[in-house]
Amino acid sequence: MIESTDNPATDLSDFDKDRRNFCISCAKYSLGIAVATSFPLKLLAETTSPFAPYKYTPLKSSFENDYRNKWSWDDVTLGTHNLNCWFQQNCLFYVYKKDGKITREEQVGNYPQTNEKVPDFNPRGCQKGCSYSDFMYSEARITHPLKRSGERGEGKWEKISWDEALTGIADKMIKAIDENGTKSVVVDPGGNIVNYLSFYSLFRFFDFLDSTILDINCELGDDQQGAAVTYGEISNDRSGDDYFYSDLIFIWGGNPAYTQIPNFHFLTEARYNGTKIVAISPDLNASAIKADYYIPVKPGTDSALANSMAHLIISEKLYNEHLLKEQTDLTFLVRTDNNKLLKQSDVRKDGSELVLYRWDKKEKKLEIPSQSSLKLDTDPALEGEFNIKTYQGIVTVKPVFEFLKEQLKEFTPEKASKICGVAPDTIRKLTTMLVSSKAATNTCTSNFSKFYHGDIIMRSQILAFILAGHLGKKGDGFVTCSFLVADGGNKILNEFELTKDLRYKYLFKYGTPFWLNFFERKDWNQATYKYVLDTFVDSRFMANSTLFWNLHGGISDISERTNEWDPHLKRDIKEYINEMKAKEWQVIDPPLNTDPKVYFSWAGNALRRVRGSQKLLTTLWPKFDLVVALEMRMSSTATHADYILPVSGAYEKTTVMAANTNTLSPFFHTTQKAVENIGESKDEWEIACLLAKKIKERAKHLKIVNFKTARNNTRKFTEMYNKLTSSAGEKESELISKKMTEDSSNLGGISWDKLKEKGYTRFTELGKNPASFGNACDIKKGETISPHTWHTEKKEVWTTLTGRIQFYIDHDWYLELNEQLPIHKNPPTAGGDYPFTLTGGHARWSIHSIMRTDPGLLRLQRGEPFVLISVKDAEKHLLNDDDEIKIFNDVDYFFSRVKISATVQPGQLIMYHGWESYQFKGGKSARNVMASPLNPIEMVGDYPYLKPVMAVRQPGQSDRDTRVEIEKV
Amino acid sequence: MEKENKQIAQVIDLNKCIGCQTCTVSCKQLWTDDKGMEHMWWNIVNSMPGKGTPKDWEKMGGGWKDGNLIYGKLPSKQDFGEAWEFNFNEVHYEGNKNKAQLKPIGNRPNWGPNWDEEQGAGEFPNGYYFNLPRMCNHCTKPACLAACPTKAIYKRDNDGVVLIDDTLCKGTKMCQMACPYKRIYFNDERNIAQKCIACFPRLEKSVAPACVRQCPGRARHFGYLQDENSQVHQLVYKWKVALPLHPDFNTEPNVFYIPPTLPKTLNEDGTINENNPRIPLSYLKSLFGEDVEKALITIEEEKTKIGNSELIDLLISRKWHDMFKPFHQDPI
Repeated sequence: MIESTDNPATDLSDFDKDRRNFCISCAKYSLGIAVATSFPLKLLAETTSPFAPYKYTPLKSSFENDYRNKWSWDDVTLGTHNLNCWFQQNCLFYVYKKDGKITREEQVGNYPQTNEKVPDFNPRGCQKGCSYSDFMYSEARITHPLKRSGERGEGKWEKISWDEALTGIADKMIKAIDENGTKSVVVDPGGNIVNYLSFYSLFRFFDFLDSTILDINCELGDDQQGAAVTYGEISNDRSGDDYFYSDLIFIWGGNPAYTQIPNFHFLTEARYNGTKIVAISPDLNASAIKADYYIPVKPGTDSALANSMAHLIISEKLYNEHLLKEQTDLTFLVRTDNNKLLKQSDVRKDGSELVLYRWDKKEKKLEIPSQSSLKLDTDPALEGEFNIKTYQGIVTVKPVFEFLKEQLKEFTPEKASKICGVAPDTIRKLTTMLVSSKAATNTCTSNFSKFYHGDIIMRSQILAFILAGHLGKKGDGFVTCSFLVADGGNKILNEFELTKDLRYKYLFKYGTPFWLNFFERKDWNQATYKYVLDTFVDSRFMANSTLFWNLHGGISDISERTNEWDPHLKRDIKEYINEMKAKEWQVIDPPLNTDPKVYFSWAGNALRRVRGSQKLLTTLWPKFDLVVALEMRMSSTATHADYILPVSGAYEKTTVMAANTNTLSPFFHTTQKAVENIGESKDEWEIACLLAKKIKERAKHLKIVNFKTARNNTRKFTEMYNKLTSSAGEKESELISKKMTEDSSNLGGISWDKLKEKGYTRFTELGKNPASFGNACDIKKGETISPHTWHTEKKEVWTTLTGRIQFYIDHDWYLELNEQLPIHKNPPTAGGDYPFTLTGGHARWSIHSIMRTDPGLLRLQRGEPFVLISVKDAEKHLLNDDDEIKIFNDVDYFFSRVKISATVQPGQLIMYHGWESYQFKGGKSARNVMASPLNPIEMVGDYPYLKPVMAVRQPGQSDRDTRVEIEKV
Repeated sequence: MEKENKQIAQVIDLNKCIGCQTCTVSCKQLWTDDKGMEHMWWNIVNSMPGKGTPKDWEKMGGGWKDGNLIYGKLPSKQDFGEAWEFNFNEVHYEGNKNKAQLKPIGNRPNWGPNWDEEQGAGEFPNGYYFNLPRMCNHCTKPACLAACPTKAIYKRDNDGVVLIDDTLCKGTKMCQMACPYKRIYFNDERNIAQKCIACFPRLEKSVAPACVRQCPGRARHFGYLQDENSQVHQLVYKWKVALPLHPDFNTEPNVFYIPPTLPKTLNEDGTINENNPRIPLSYLKSLFGEDVEKALITIEEEKTKIGNSELIDLLISRKWHDMFKPFHQDPI
């Protein structure tokens, strides 16, 4: 019997006590029991309101006040987390401070709605950002400078003072530079240089010292090589709300439910609005379950699917002829004798190698396609065969389209189906959907860049979309990567010593008009050739990290076995590498006759990131006299350092987001310093300045004042500090962000104070940083952002050799490997011919490794790494959920627990990324088995637009073709 | 509408929930960071089908049957998943080189609050799971309130929030037994039961609950159930596409769900089956009752009226604030 609610009892009556004990014992035996009295009926009969029986006011409301007090704060600032979340980036938070500590953060949610038709961007943010305040105070945080007191990696550390740390570091740096040259100092700028403070500090510091600055973008697998060689640019993405205009969206190879958390709502909203979502992936991943169609595909065989779609479109003549003629190189003429593009130098003795041809159908003669406009005044041929009179005789040519037709002739859905596992009729259905959609697009992903043949996979995807007529309209076109950068950062070039060294060289070569045109995107194609041809490799601005790890670091022991795994290579991989080296197609620093001596891990975690990093420990690490890690926590790399310098966290410093801001969410953010640096941590700028100051002091002491750069210019250690601090003193890091903001031309002229007040501002145009150019579109108020409209509407040329979307690449290596056109090649048996493919993806639970060891988030997983396996394979191997297995191949092995899931394809294993080495048994991580074969196609140079630039067209590592076998432990 | 007796309610769109657990983390950061609360996740997102949090909660019993209060099984801390501590010192600072692996201290756990994330059911390629956020439902007929022998649990008039007054709670754990959703946790340090408080301090300032406001998937609608202008009212009563979880527990929960539609399945030969839903209807009915069938049909029908459906506009909700008016004040 429930008592009247007027007198709440505070003591249990005897009856209640007995009943309670009875209930508990019943509960223990898992018996539900029914209370004898029919509780609500009596009282319900007495009232009209269904709520009445439950209504009473507690005598004391102190408990309610406790909760009211809990939700309180002293101060609120604005900020975000300055991490390399890339597609997910840009989320403004309220940061709450109480009693001097940050208690929590919550999304602001005041991004504007672009227009009434589309959903607004709010609230953004993710579970990682919403627990940042936890992370910043966690026991994993390093708050004092540390020096190792045992062997590297042993796990013995002593706390030292900043002065002691900086002195030890400065001494070793000065000696290394003096004895081994400037390039023997190597810095790995990890993903977190997206925080401008980090970016600026690193580049200014190591530029002065003429150090080797590694370019890691291709190595880690964000190179988007397919886009780089086809579109010419990798960055082109639509704004999140532009997806609302698509009627067909492919989630092809990515997992935006994990990696684009704050953007995903645009897809679910579009789906309600009638958009069809197609997910193509080996496993039924977290994004695929939200699609209308899920198409399982065998890992790494997406090029077979795409090529058979292209086959169907061509054989059934479903392509948009005008689009192909106007925007692509499919009309360009190729010699049938040597498969090379017909050049003016073939036809005329004094002809240019850069001038190419089409066939004018009406006039029946050669025409030179304009390199300043795509506007079609003629009708160039897509098909046919023509005999050309040249000064060397008759040459027979055909348009690229004829070669494509020929190559695709046999690539039927039936043939593709045997390779990729998609049923022929499903391939037909997908093709019909693609062709009949008014606006079709995809979600950007960096997934395929981590496959060995990722470039031809992406080239094939672009081919299918272009043939189906999709490009450069609202919601329409294949997109690859998202960059939109505040161009105030360009001014850092004015502060580089490197710029001073090269200025006269390039000024003499090109003159100011060239550079003005370049940044204004006039004569963009020709300007690009020259820039690409001359600047990056020549300047040695950054060195390719893949080659560094391979040639200096010992990973070539693994990757030189590429021929075992890729049957298509015509020569030994070592021969390709040697040719690349001899022709200086890529930047390798330090030069191979110099050992690297000093290593800085700055905003990154190479030992966690690099495939095969176990080799680095045995081959590369012993070469270093000094290893320094700037870190917030004990990462895999910091574990093996000599010194760890504690870096302040997101809310402890004022900064802006530098890189990886993007069109997907076109907002530029700032984070305000909310609390003092935790412990003895310092921001990156202060660290850089203090180290420069220490170098000045120790150089005098060691009497080594001068040093010579790799170009033989003399610089003085003693001038470094003054040079750095001319822009901002060590305690004035805010000035750096202020300058970047106010120097930017594409932020609507916002002042620093206004930006701080609002927390963010919307980009107003692409601006003048080349990283943004690939989007090739306007940014208009009240409109969503759709890339490539400068090509489709303004008829601007593309930044490739042909000035068009380039499907035909006649570089000698491309021809040798038969990859002059997008084609399908089976994935290599990387690591050996074993039955499982170990695929991966970016984790839901961490931005790379940063929160991989956060206890709060680990509790929402399984506490340690696991590999996902299919139900069938688990049964076959007699595995129970959470069993431990050994995963091995010809390269190495590691141990992991398994998680059995109905979403995994038989033959597939999935390990999501970011786990630290020490989260695995014996420190052997999944990276140990990643064979990472080297693909020579990525090393290519000496071709007008196929030369490396920052972040693009350099060799990379790959891991998602890794083959393994398993055994129960 | 009666002059008070307002009831706040949530509608969670399972087509939008991507299982990111931002709601889970937001709640934790705000409320459950004190001693004794380490293992508490007042809000949690469970992969369904799955054993959930606590493990096998659906079989533990509780709620009402034929007007009688049922005391179900008392879930243990282990059933919920403990707050594992990690051996940072051992791994990093005690000179153990590679020999120490960072992992939960103690025996290997065999359950956790999100242990069976994405395991799902069915057979590849037609396997299935969806994400189900679960928290206190602030029921209209709360079994917990009825079960409490010390009258520590009460339901507020002005918003229908059900609260456990921790000054009155004597730690009998009857509420934990009676709640069929097993969303009540126990604080061993203070010997009291604790659960979701519907962020009532925020409601009092017209700020939506943290789980609602911080959801990046925009999966949660929130408002007064009786308010005909509110989205929750329209979704529950007008369109009837928002359904209670386990109406068979009879507590009349005030959290409702829009049932999920997963991708089409594949036939044996790999062609697409346009007809067979991936999630068996029987499974959805076991969760949401018979009405789920009509709800799914209503949504599909309205989707065909492209650009001309009030329901679809609701489900899209172009303006984020509309999803939780009048609780759209800024949390500052």
